[in-house]
Amino acid sequence: MPHAVSTGTTIVAVEYAGGVVIGADSRVSTGTYISNRASDKITPLSDNAFLLRSGSAADTQLVSDYVRHMVHQHESQLQRPIDVPTVANLVMQIGYNNKNALSAAAMLVAGYDAATRQGHVYAVPIGGTMVRQKYAIDGSGSIFIYGYCDSEYKDDMTREEAESFVAEAIALAMSTDGSSGGVVRLVTVNEDGIFRRLHAGDKSVPRFGEEKDVHKDLTDKANAMQT
Amino acid sequence: MSSVGAGYDLSSTTFSPDGRVFQVEYAQKAVDNSGTVLGLRVRDGVVLAIEKPVISKLAVPGANRRILSADRSVGMAGAGLAADCRMVVNRARGECQNYKHFYGSAMPTEVLAERIASYVHLFTLYWSVRPCGASTLVAGCDQSGGERTPQLYLVEPNGVVQRFYGTALGKARQSAKSEIEKLDLSSMSAKEAVKAAAKIIYQVHDESKDKQFELEMTWIAPETDYEHRRVPADMLAEAEAEAKAAIEAMDE
Amino acid sequence: MQPSLPSHHPLLGPDTAILAAQQQSASASFFHNQRTNTAHQDANSNAVLAPASGAMPFTVAPPQAHAPFDAGALAFDAAITNAPPGAPNKHTTYPYVTGTSVLAIKYKDGIMMAADTLGAYGATKRYKSISRIVPAAPTTLVGAGGEISDFQYISKLLTELNDNDVIRDDGVVLKPREVFAYLQRVMYNRRNKFDPLWNSLVVGGVDQATGEAFLGTCSMIGVSYTDSHVATGFGNHLARPLFRNEQRDDMTEQEARALLEKALRVCYYRDKNSINKFVIGTVTKESGMKVSEPFSLSTEWGYDAFVHPTKHALGSW
Repeated sequence: MPHAVSTGTTIVAVEYAGGVVIGADSRVSTGTYISNRASDKITPLSDNAFLLRSGSAADTQLVSDYVRHMVHQHESQLQRPIDVPTVANLVMQIGYNNKNALSAAAMLVAGYDAATRQGHVYAVPIGGTMVRQKYAIDGSGSIFIYGYCDSEYKDDMTREEAESFVAEAIALAMSTDGSSGGVVRLVTVNEDGIFRRLHAGDKSVPRFGEEKDVHKDLTDKANAMQT
Repeated sequence: MSSVGAGYDLSSTTFSPDGRVFQVEYAQKAVDNSGTVLGLRVRDGVVLAIEKPVISKLAVPGANRRILSADRSVGMAGAGLAADCRMVVNRARGECQNYKHFYGSAMPTEVLAERIASYVHLFTLYWSVRPCGASTLVAGCDQSGGERTPQLYLVEPNGVVQRFYGTALGKARQSAKSEIEKLDLSSMSAKEAVKAAAKIIYQVHDESKDKQFELEMTWIAPETDYEHRRVPADMLAEAEAEAKAAIEAMDE
Repeated sequence: MQPSLPSHHPLLGPDTAILAAQQQSASASFFHNQRTNTAHQDANSNAVLAPASGAMPFTVAPPQAHAPFDAGALAFDAAITNAPPGAPNKHTTYPYVTGTSVLAIKYKDGIMMAADTLGAYGATKRYKSISRIVPAAPTTLVGAGGEISDFQYISKLLTELNDNDVIRDDGVVLKPREVFAYLQRVMYNRRNKFDPLWNSLVVGGVDQATGEAFLGTCSMIGVSYTDSHVATGFGNHLARPLFRNEQRDDMTEQEARALLEKALRVCYYRDKNSINKFVIGTVTKESGMKVSEPFSLSTEWGYDAFVHPTKHALGSW
């Protein structure tokens, strides 16, 4: 398959004091063509847990479909919301038991358990390892932001700090990785619920390095023309 | 019982004209003849106790257990045919292990009790098998939201599962149940329940009919880290001594 | 090289495999593992499913009766991947997230085992707090190098084994030698299915009854041996020469720890897939089993030749 549809992708998830913040870029490519420039790679698995998908779009969508099915069955038997570690475990089981079929499915699972008042972030990379982490990144763009994330991550961030940590990380990855781009989608899960946030367009996605000033000139000129 | 006999009590796949399945009722009789079994669900744990008749002076004390673990924190006390109890417990162990392997966490007691009930129920549906001659008390302490919730379920040969604060099975179930009703279970600690259970077993034991018995007792409590364990020997001895003393005091 | 495998039934094109998986859903065990799927496939599917051409299997599929949800059915077959028709079933062909060396030695009181906490993704040092030394039985530690997901699976098997001992509560628990024998069988069985668990394992512990220390290692293809000192991966080349010179079964705890730290340091200097974050586990008759908190070691970069690389020779170092 020369041109499988791939989410290329940068995905980031972080636990903060009181919940989790997760984020993803929106680029989907087929070869060098961007087949979807505003996709949503943050897929709900339960009322309080999400799957962040990277790698093959088809494979990871299938995984999320199966897990959502299992979550439904499980919740209707238990008569209570499923907890995040169990959701992560289901993703892992599928990843591990089908490691050859899913050789391009790298995923993160993140969510918040109201019962234990605890956020959870799990990495489930190719191969079906399952690792709980304070923050996790994956996707082709993630390799460009290991340094940023290791240096900027702090334990027990506030919600605002965590949201800018994730948004900045994804914007940075998008600036270097050709397979990541478009908009930055953020989801915050905490005691109060689920909050989606979108960073789209020239003003709200920061630019870096040698692209930075061009951006500034552009907006300045645009503003000048308008006035 | 007018319907007894009349040809409708030989198979569990045939109802009697008045809507009963006699083979299943007979299985219940096997349970009712058993040594008394007790389950108490209290504030911070669960206690299971069983009056185990000593079948022979040559029997090894502590052997032939009737209270077994299905999982690290699930206890099952069986009344009825010992071999049927063992079969049910083995099934429960398999269910618990499968669940933990797939979901990565311990099986909730309620789900386990329902699965055991479904399993037992299957034995009432086919001509080729005999109904299960065992009732089991399923005790657990589920973790939900950082808290532990004690649980006690009864699974009967007909496949019915019920949830209890406290219940009793076997020969002296009626008097044992009325003793349990006198207890304030919701404020009692597991440690206190161990003594209460011992006392009831000694109290309802029919000295005239039965010979010697052995008191087998397990608990799930903060003291056991919410795992299902046998009550330690010294604690058991103390509870038994207190039970005997209380009964002597009552007799006087 | 891919070993040749018994192929499918000639009539059964690769696309039909997914139907085979659905077919068996009613009878398959609750928890699926890869082994059962391939095994059942030939037996189950021939009669109903095999279309003459191997194409368009869905048109010949019998209607599916409603069956309770079965996790086993979730296993896709390798044949529905991108492999060309007729290609042999592939299982694990390379590891993804890997751990490096595990080192272990016997000493006076029992055994001591050490490893770093890295889970590497290729050459990326990705997961830095992975426990690769875990308790397997009351006096047995198991350490693993190689694929972390497979080790997590093995850990689960060991937990189940140990839980069974706890549940039976008959006073019988597994000894280190028995855990070792079990793992030998698991590893060898899987390699015979051409589906190896991609690990090198170290088993260490003390027999509670006799106080005798045990140390053994088992590779992914089931090769195993016991010795007074063992190591996996790079450790075989870097640590064991040190052990051969310095390890004695009667060395003290301090001596043993110093030797392991020395070996860990060498491994850290020369193994690019290692990090300076280690754990040491011990099993002794007296104080049972312990696994330390993670710690790091001092390193030395002050050698004259390092500081002045061109002092003794011209050209690049």
